[in-house]
Amino acid sequence: MKKSGLIIKKELFRIFGDRKMVFSLYVLPVVIVIVIYSLMGRLIGSMEKDVTEHKSVITVVNASDEYKQLAAQTGYDSIAETTYLDSKQFADRQEALEKEIHDGDSDLIVIFEDDFNAAQSDYLSGGSSIPGIKICYNDTERYSSNAYAVFSTVIIDTYKTTLLSGRYGDVSLLDAINVETENICKEEKANTEFISMMLPYMIVMMLFAGVMSVGVDAIAGEKERGTLASMLISPVKRREIAVGKLVSMGILSGISAIVYCISMIIASHMMGTDTLEGFGGISFNALQIVELLLVMLALVFLYVGIVALISVISTNTKTASSAISPIYIVIVLAGMCTMFRSGSKTSTLQYMIPVYGNALAISDICSNELSLINFVASFGITFLIGVALTLTVARAFESEKLMFNA
Amino acid sequence: MIEINNLTKIYKLNAKKKKELKTNKDVKIAVNDVSFTAHPGEIFGLLGPNGAGKTTTLRCVATLLRPTSGNVKVCGYDTVEDGQKVRDSICFLTNEIKLDEHFSTDYLFNFFGKLKDMTDEEIAARKEELFGVFGINDFKDKKIEELSTGMKQKASIAVNLVNDPEVVIFDEPTSGLDIVTAKAVLDYLKSLREKGKTVIVSTHIMSEAEKLCDKIAMIIGGKKVIEGSIPEVLEQTGMPDLEDAFFKLYMENQKENEEAAK
Repeated sequence: MKKSGLIIKKELFRIFGDRKMVFSLYVLPVVIVIVIYSLMGRLIGSMEKDVTEHKSVITVVNASDEYKQLAAQTGYDSIAETTYLDSKQFADRQEALEKEIHDGDSDLIVIFEDDFNAAQSDYLSGGSSIPGIKICYNDTERYSSNAYAVFSTVIIDTYKTTLLSGRYGDVSLLDAINVETENICKEEKANTEFISMMLPYMIVMMLFAGVMSVGVDAIAGEKERGTLASMLISPVKRREIAVGKLVSMGILSGISAIVYCISMIIASHMMGTDTLEGFGGISFNALQIVELLLVMLALVFLYVGIVALISVISTNTKTASSAISPIYIVIVLAGMCTMFRSGSKTSTLQYMIPVYGNALAISDICSNELSLINFVASFGITFLIGVALTLTVARAFESEKLMFNA
Repeated sequence: MIEINNLTKIYKLNAKKKKELKTNKDVKIAVNDVSFTAHPGEIFGLLGPNGAGKTTTLRCVATLLRPTSGNVKVCGYDTVEDGQKVRDSICFLTNEIKLDEHFSTDYLFNFFGKLKDMTDEEIAARKEELFGVFGINDFKDKKIEELSTGMKQKASIAVNLVNDPEVVIFDEPTSGLDIVTAKAVLDYLKSLREKGKTVIVSTHIMSEAEKLCDKIAMIIGGKKVIEGSIPEVLEQTGMPDLEDAFFKLYMENQKENEEAAK
């Protein structure tokens, strides 16, 4: 296998000896991911800031003095630009006001029923009337839906509490049952829920993207350009050429996948959104790291075998890329399936399904729940399929029909 | 030495190829029962029109294709049973096999030298000789993609000859070369003959074959139609030069070829 080493060295030099290749393969994707994510972070941040700072434009119909007092007390007056109307004025302008809500020019219409005050008095004195308020808003407009949320919290909830206290005294008695909750979760799972959901998907997808980006050119490209044949007429066993090609593809795509993962982590921190905080919260022990590396290694081995086999069979890079695309979609779907896994027990047989089983194993590694049998099932099957694919690729290198279209 | 014994190579044709070749046949006989021997210290020319089977024959010699029947022996080794030993003693130069454009001639010379089990000292000595002969020193560190067609051809020849092989197989040696580079290549092939190497070239340029080859075999429609030294071929055909001899043989065999193609 000494000659495989020479081929690996050459393949690595082909990439690392060329600044342009290093830039396009390893630097540019990082820059693009970071730029896109930080841009998204900024845009989301500025959008949220804009919604928060926006002064709601609301119309209140039949507002009582109590309401006005409440709005002043809670400070709602200062965050909303309120127009007060009576029933008659509203009836005259209803259509126009609703159109304003629809078009996003106004945010909220609050209509106190005509007999609101009477109903309120009846309710407070123990009667059966319930005072009514109608609210019109537009859920598709950010300002309007935010105005509704704020109004509900600041005014309606306060109003309700006041009325309930007035009628029943101690509001806490209305709860009927005092529920005390305690969230017992595994320590390892705390704060890692998000990452154990996302990481398997990201790894299975990005490793394949990495293999695709270097693998198609390394075999189908070289076949197309006639440079692979120069090695085939050398006194080297075809098996050694296949191993040299596959190992170098594995190394290059592995680096590519790691670079992608790191750039995603950096980018998610730059986004600074709460949903991605899980990336920082996770920590692996030595066993988890070894397990993760082994699973990733087996996965790369499998991917390299798949891409290499398709590249050998294809006559050029175009047909190879077309043939690989559907497989990429299947891999993305397999990765996504683990995101929606529920229940306590996953059968060991599922860990034996290539790609899906690996994603399950990665997910379990994140929460430190991977059993030895499931690890062996996932790693072993993937590795064996990788070996079978490698042998098939080596045999394909012998085929004059595949290599020379003969 | 190259010994070709009753070599036949048959390609299976798929629907696409049948359409390309405008035939209903399921197979194409590219080489049909061809036999000849090329000896050390001799330049053997394989002559014929395009599609006659010259390249297929050379590919069988170079172990890239397996004969459907018959056998090919290079330096006593069978190309199928001892493929790696055959590849150890040959160099196959053809326009279809190219050097990787991402690397320099110098890098590839070292790479293929090591791949062919040479020591650093041996590689350095061969480099000095071959880079000097083909004038490669001026562009040895440039990437192949930056070189002109002639430079690429020179680089390819030098890289392939790194291990000083006993047998040199050259498909269309001057194809695409300017007159100066073509002469350098032909002169080098003559020098290989002087060193006792076995050289086999394919060409459809009769004047080139006349100047270069000690012996020739003409292949038309996959069949060998004549073999011998140039004076022997001229005598057998009764023609004054090789070009006329070729056309005479071509016309005689054309009808048969057209029927075979259907």
